[in-house]
Amino acid sequence: MPSRFPSRILPYLLLAPSVLIVVVFLVVPSIQSLYLSFFQTSPFGDRMIFVGLRNFTRLFRSAEYLNAFWVTLIAALIVVGVGLAASLLCAVLANQRIRGSHLYRTLMIWPYALSPAVAGTIWALLWHPTAGWLPYAIQALGGPSLNWMTSGNLALVVVSLAATWKMLGYNVIFFLAGLQGVPRELEEAAEVDGATPFRRFIHITLPFLSPTALFLLIMNSLYAFFEIFGLVDVMTKGGPGRATDILVYKLWRDGFVNLQTGLAAAESIILFVVVAILTVLQFRFVGQRVFYQ
Amino acid sequence: MTRRLVRAFLLAVVLVGLLGPAAAAQIEVQFWHSMSGAAGRALNDLVERFNASQSEYRVHAQFSGSYAEALTRAIAALRTGQAPNILQVYEVGTQTMLDSGAIIPVYELAESRGGIDFGDISRPIFNYYAVDGKLYSMPFNSSTAMLYYNKDIFRKAGLDPNRPPTTFDEVLEMGRQIVASGAAPHAISFGWPAWVFEQAHATHNQFYANNANGRAGRATEVLFNGPFGVEVVTHWRRWAEEGVFVYGGREYSANQAFISGQIAMLIQSTSSLASIEEAANFEVGTTFLPRLEGYPRGNSVIGGASLWVLKGQSERELDGVWEFFKFINRTENAVAWHQGTGYFPVTNSAVKTLLDSGWFAENPNSLTAFLQILTGSDHPAAQGVLLGQFVEIRDIVDTALEDALNGRVPVQRALDQAAARVNQVLADYALLYQ
Amino acid sequence: MSTPAMSVLAGAGYRIRRQVKTGLTHLAAWGTIFILALPVLYALVMSTLSFQEAYRFPPSLVPGRHLLANLQEAWVHINMGRLLFNSTVVAVAVAVGKMVLSVLAAFAFTYFGDFRGKWLFFGLILITHMLPLPVRIVPTFELITRLGWADTYWALTVPFFASATGTLLFRQFFLTVPHALADAARIDGAGPMRFLVSILLPLSRTNLAALFMVEFIYAWNEYLWPLVATSSDRMRVVQIGIKTLLASEAQAAEWNVVMAGAMISIVPPLLVLLLLQGAFVKGFALQQEK
Repeated sequence: MPSRFPSRILPYLLLAPSVLIVVVFLVVPSIQSLYLSFFQTSPFGDRMIFVGLRNFTRLFRSAEYLNAFWVTLIAALIVVGVGLAASLLCAVLANQRIRGSHLYRTLMIWPYALSPAVAGTIWALLWHPTAGWLPYAIQALGGPSLNWMTSGNLALVVVSLAATWKMLGYNVIFFLAGLQGVPRELEEAAEVDGATPFRRFIHITLPFLSPTALFLLIMNSLYAFFEIFGLVDVMTKGGPGRATDILVYKLWRDGFVNLQTGLAAAESIILFVVVAILTVLQFRFVGQRVFYQ
Repeated sequence: MTRRLVRAFLLAVVLVGLLGPAAAAQIEVQFWHSMSGAAGRALNDLVERFNASQSEYRVHAQFSGSYAEALTRAIAALRTGQAPNILQVYEVGTQTMLDSGAIIPVYELAESRGGIDFGDISRPIFNYYAVDGKLYSMPFNSSTAMLYYNKDIFRKAGLDPNRPPTTFDEVLEMGRQIVASGAAPHAISFGWPAWVFEQAHATHNQFYANNANGRAGRATEVLFNGPFGVEVVTHWRRWAEEGVFVYGGREYSANQAFISGQIAMLIQSTSSLASIEEAANFEVGTTFLPRLEGYPRGNSVIGGASLWVLKGQSERELDGVWEFFKFINRTENAVAWHQGTGYFPVTNSAVKTLLDSGWFAENPNSLTAFLQILTGSDHPAAQGVLLGQFVEIRDIVDTALEDALNGRVPVQRALDQAAARVNQVLADYALLYQ
Repeated sequence: MSTPAMSVLAGAGYRIRRQVKTGLTHLAAWGTIFILALPVLYALVMSTLSFQEAYRFPPSLVPGRHLLANLQEAWVHINMGRLLFNSTVVAVAVAVGKMVLSVLAAFAFTYFGDFRGKWLFFGLILITHMLPLPVRIVPTFELITRLGWADTYWALTVPFFASATGTLLFRQFFLTVPHALADAARIDGAGPMRFLVSILLPLSRTNLAALFMVEFIYAWNEYLWPLVATSSDRMRVVQIGIKTLLASEAQAAEWNVVMAGAMISIVPPLLVLLLLQGAFVKGFALQQEK
């Protein structure tokens, strides 16, 4: 038990700013979202009709909404799958006991400073059918002529890769830290026993990395669901033809362009359920190590 | 030294004292708009000239993002009494504004203040923003759609550059010739497909929605999945199958293909004329929208935006708003606005001045769209459709058109599905206003 | 059968294999870094080209000489100075705000035993983890409009001052501080605030730097909220400015200028990352392992 200062009022004073802001700007608006989700509103907000669960049933029966869910899931899969694999590779490389690994670490994590919007802009350029270098390179190597702005599937892949690329730095930092937590004696013992680097990796390193990997899985999923609005807005605006219409993008469009605030609130609540599930998973499988001593 | 300072100080005080009251009495008029680029510059110019022309009112023009963003912000600001005096709203927001309960119709201001001859406003533009002959918002930046074409490609394909297609059939024929000759990879594309679909209805006098396109009463059902709509899209689908038509995205993306010579013809808003003429390194021609034979003549639909006056202003502020509107409608300003942006000259007097000065002779492409709307009829079906939640509806129609044109869904089914969704949207919207 | 000669050879072979392995590792590392940086390298090259060069086919990988011209164009076109100023104000305010509130809250949770409502407040702060912006964006937007904060720095900063991550980070850290320090302070008659400021804060330097880095970058890169909460040129932030650079209707995007602008926008968060990355690794990442 840590020390106890005897003051009775001070803790409340110290907590007041945080609690106040949390309640006013986070908790209350979230509850209002819930309330609003049961209504249909006029664009100017001057009229509201109670419609019960209709917004929710409409959403779940709407091909457009289900498409948005599907698109977001695929993006999340790519971000998590490709992202964790690639950053693990980078982390392993940067972790080797060779000179300059510190420099390598820096050179691998700097994309973390990029914003989703800038990352999206850069990838939009890279893949541009006329000004971009990638389509040209692919064609020069004998591949097909790719125009990501007209192919829905390709657009989704490009957007997801852009999002993945931006998060690589973050993942590498955590994987590096995780790798450094692997007891060296075990590795060396295995090496002496004649285990190949590959087997050493699978049987020793990976188990020690699993908390980190789980943590990153959840953080990357949250990222794909909630943080790539800017990337989509800059690259595709949800197109071509809704191929990259992630859930948050549809929410923004329904709430701020189509002025259907009740429907948007319903979408907000569904997103809340998603993040609640992810957070509970995080606290259960990862949190135990982190938050309780 | 000190005496000079004191005198300077006293002079300053006196000056402030003299100017102060005048400055304090100057009425501020907040004008939220969405004009950027060349149009933004022309607008700021217009506002500066207004402010310089008199000292009673000061218009403060604020770029507030896209049309959708500006509208959302204005709605939020209304709730806290911080709304602007004048709000520029896109044409698809017309029904929304009419239903908002937050506007002061322009005809009311005209009744109490006078000074603007509504008869001078171009008829089709007036009709778009009027209900029962009464004008609700002040026309400002209006455009329509027309057919742009690349005269150089026409020549290369062996076509007469002064004989662009007039009918759908001619588009297909000439398109085939263009593609076959290799003059261009494809022949035609559109910007804003859903809008072009509305244009097709209006130019052939076909109702897009019931209740006279929402002008005789609230529209509750759309009619675009009827025989006419299906025929139009079926034609487009055939063009696509033959490689004559290529899909160009939902807004302005097709412009790039036209400018770079990948398509020979483009159906697009007249507001793109200036930028296309500037960027194109070929001779640009323009003509009326192509027609389907066998249907009556209608008119092309007005696009763009207009200026709405919001409630909650003082009488003096409304005076300022009205003075600004009078200023905009003055011939020399309407002329300058057209020349600076490519939007229609709103008043007939402005058109006459442009004609007299030889402007249209030097810029024939500026005349095309105007001639198109002036030679069309003003049958109700040609006046443009008023729908609540129009932005969402255009979205739904865009998706249906994409599916139909890409061959993913048969034309009738795509249109039927879209109509069903749109009717649901309209029904929900109507519930709010029972 | 191993003779001394053979073991020398074996030893040499081992060394060579080790060197080759090290060399390959370096190569792989540089290769990975290069591939990772490829998009930005291309962007950098693009920012040095002229408009015609930008659209030349095949695309050129050779840098041009228009960097300064493009930077100037980007700067002037979207009033980059104002954008950078706004983003800096917001990012610093949010980062500092989160630091202050997190430290205060964590201190309250750690050094005052179990006071009434402690776990309620703790849960309340933690629950913010489950309330990202999209979950509450419409009512929050209406709230800030009602407060008159639309299009001001208040809207962009105050709602973000509380931090679940920060509070947890510091609470975690405070729990590892030896009791003796606090006990000594109490015995000396020092109040809790003095203890916090004179002893805990200096000890927390790494965590403070780590949190600052994370939150500065996060706030600098925010897009959706500034898009919704601000509208005027005066209050625009850099991220929205980039979007403005890109948006042009009928014209082809001036990629060279866009990239120049993008490069400018990266500099501040990149600097912060480079300066504080060590602290971040120590303060954040390693915490996960405890």
